[in-house]
Amino acid sequence: MSAMRVIFHECKKVFSSPLLIALIVLFSAFNLFIIWNESYRLDELKVANELAETYGLQITDKSLRQFEEDVKTDLAGLHGAPAPVDLQRKGMYLQMAKSIDSKYDEIDWNKIGEREVHKYKLSGSAAEILKKAYNKLSRRFEEIKETDEHKTWFFSGKPYRMYGFLFASLFRPIIFETLMLIVLATALITNYEFENKTCLVAYSTRRGRSLMKDKLAASLLTTAGIVTVILALTLGVYFAVFDYSHLWGSAISSAFNWEYSMDDLPYVSWWNLSFAEYLLCSILLLYVCMLLFSAISFAISVLVKNSYYTFFLFAAFFIIALLTPGFASVSSALIFITVHNLSVLCMNPHMWFMGNGGLTMFKNYELVTAGVWTVITSTLCLYALSRFKKQELY
Amino acid sequence: MRILWIEIRKILNGKILLLLCLANLLFYFLFIEHPATKVTQGRPWLDDFRIGAEMVQKYGSDMEEQKFADFKKTYEAQIKEADQYLQSRAEFATAGIRSYEDFVNVDQDNQEQWVLHDRVMFQEKVDMFWELQERKRLIEDWYDSRVAWLDRAAENAENTRQKARLKELKQAGHYQVYPGFILDHYKSFISCVAIAVVLSVVLTLSPIFIKDRLRPLLDLQYTTKKGRNLYKTKAAAGLISAFVVIVSVLIVYFGIYVGNINQNVLRGSNLSVFFQVPIHTFTGAYHWFDPTFLQYIVLTVMAVCVLGLVFALLAISFSSVMSNYVSLIGIQIPPVFAVLFFGLSYLVGDMIDIRVAQWAAPASYSLAVVASAAFLILMWRREKQRDIVL
Repeated sequence: MSAMRVIFHECKKVFSSPLLIALIVLFSAFNLFIIWNESYRLDELKVANELAETYGLQITDKSLRQFEEDVKTDLAGLHGAPAPVDLQRKGMYLQMAKSIDSKYDEIDWNKIGEREVHKYKLSGSAAEILKKAYNKLSRRFEEIKETDEHKTWFFSGKPYRMYGFLFASLFRPIIFETLMLIVLATALITNYEFENKTCLVAYSTRRGRSLMKDKLAASLLTTAGIVTVILALTLGVYFAVFDYSHLWGSAISSAFNWEYSMDDLPYVSWWNLSFAEYLLCSILLLYVCMLLFSAISFAISVLVKNSYYTFFLFAAFFIIALLTPGFASVSSALIFITVHNLSVLCMNPHMWFMGNGGLTMFKNYELVTAGVWTVITSTLCLYALSRFKKQELY
Repeated sequence: MRILWIEIRKILNGKILLLLCLANLLFYFLFIEHPATKVTQGRPWLDDFRIGAEMVQKYGSDMEEQKFADFKKTYEAQIKEADQYLQSRAEFATAGIRSYEDFVNVDQDNQEQWVLHDRVMFQEKVDMFWELQERKRLIEDWYDSRVAWLDRAAENAENTRQKARLKELKQAGHYQVYPGFILDHYKSFISCVAIAVVLSVVLTLSPIFIKDRLRPLLDLQYTTKKGRNLYKTKAAAGLISAFVVIVSVLIVYFGIYVGNINQNVLRGSNLSVFFQVPIHTFTGAYHWFDPTFLQYIVLTVMAVCVLGLVFALLAISFSSVMSNYVSLIGIQIPPVFAVLFFGLSYLVGDMIDIRVAQWAAPASYSLAVVASAAFLILMWRREKQRDIVL
């Protein structure tokens, strides 16, 4: 139980500098500003919710016909007057719903795979690996078409970009803000005694060098806390502002989840997830990534014992991991191995669990990356701790 | 003087210099390599540069009617060359491409013709065809309608000052004729270098006061004869080291930029041919003033230096206040990121662009310099009276 008290007091050290709290407030304010900027479209987004409420979430032939009849009756009731904006939007959704099948039949993932191989100038074993992955994606796509998974109502992708806004424009700033905060907090906790010159006293107590283990627990706890606070504030406001009330069960591979991109392709997830499940998985992955980053910066700061250099060395580690795939040869499988790192993972949150990700589109990409890096990180931490146990302190 | 020298050595010590080199290496690969070297290897940018160099060497700083006639003649001579090239290769004759006209109007659905077109342009990358494309664009899109561009810009201008400036340009006969990529390329390059400079300066200078304060050496230092005036010496040492860092970073990146242009892009000539060209002759944006290219380079380099010194002053001031390293880094994150993400285009890239108000850049720079200098002087006054409690 004394260990719990020690961990609690270690966590309290983070709040000894009011700056981190001020930064949390500043970052949350910035996130709220991003949400507020996009909130001018609230009216237009109501249509999708109405459709899901009136005709059920799944688009069956029957519900589609009924929708079409309702729109026709409304149009007829106008007697030539210009249609109200609401009806126009419903008309747009109707058009999109009717063209789902034809548009989806046009997509051939194998051909797209060849294009991607050409785009990244892959050759040799790398090209083979990517082509095989696209074959798998093609089979998954057929599965989606057979089970009608993609026929659920959702906010139309091309005009509103709701998926991209949440998972790219909002998640990416969240990732970078929490990253900076947790590196600073971890460095603060770990180097607290060294910077305040009480290391000789603290590490000669009965608890002694095992204090570092408590510090690891404290930094992981603080990380989880910081991520929770920022996520709660940002996502709480987001879902308060944007109404998703009937669309929680909508499949994430919905045909409406089709946004403007260079390739003009819909989002195709590897698993059959609803929007709520997908959001939960993304949040879990975010937690895992942040905890891993915290552990890595913990290991760096134990080895370096100076929070200034820790911050910059961590930044260097992040950037090196990001640049490594650029140096791998495009003809070997090395390029896919080097792409499995945390920095590349965190760069594109909207491609998590999706088959659209370019070089990171593999089915188990997120799980493999997280798993491998958990192993690497825990080894690093154990090494740092064991080295610290025997080190001379001045 | 000796103490000043020792303080400079303390700031630019081995570990920080190593970190600085590592950081700049990463900056280079992360965001400078592309604007500095890779972009100019792509087509048609490569040809833009070469044609631009040729035009400046032949026609000087502006292209009037008879010079333009000469340019058109060169274009037509090159078309004839292209015709001969196409006729000399058998596969083009069989596909039905007998002249440059046919080549340009190749039908996208005709598989045979499209494959040949693809081969010449993208696989063999024959210079002549890319240059022809660029020359045509310069002649038709820009020169022929140069008056129309200026008039249209004047119509769409948002306020009277922009309109007045555009009218001024028109009266002086300053139309845009030279390939604008040369200027745009430099603007994107200098913006990225500004990021590297600011981050390098903040990295080097932040530990300046906090290191001695946390050691704790202040009670020893403040009881010497020099006493608290050591603060001023350290601040001066900080500014000098900031200047050293800024200059070395600029020299390295400019060396790469100029070296790349001289070796890989221009055949035979070098970047100095563009130096006397006034920037209003480059297509693209309009500007409030008419510096030559060299004067514009000097202006942006000075702007980057001032930006670096402003952040140096801020880092020095924060360093004397913050209670630990983490809060020091933490409090510098918002201003650094705010300026680098949101302000860089107004401060460095589009500094004298007509779309930015004319007073914006000088006002923000003066405000920044005055504010950070005032901050430092306030910190010095505080340090003079502070109670050092052991």
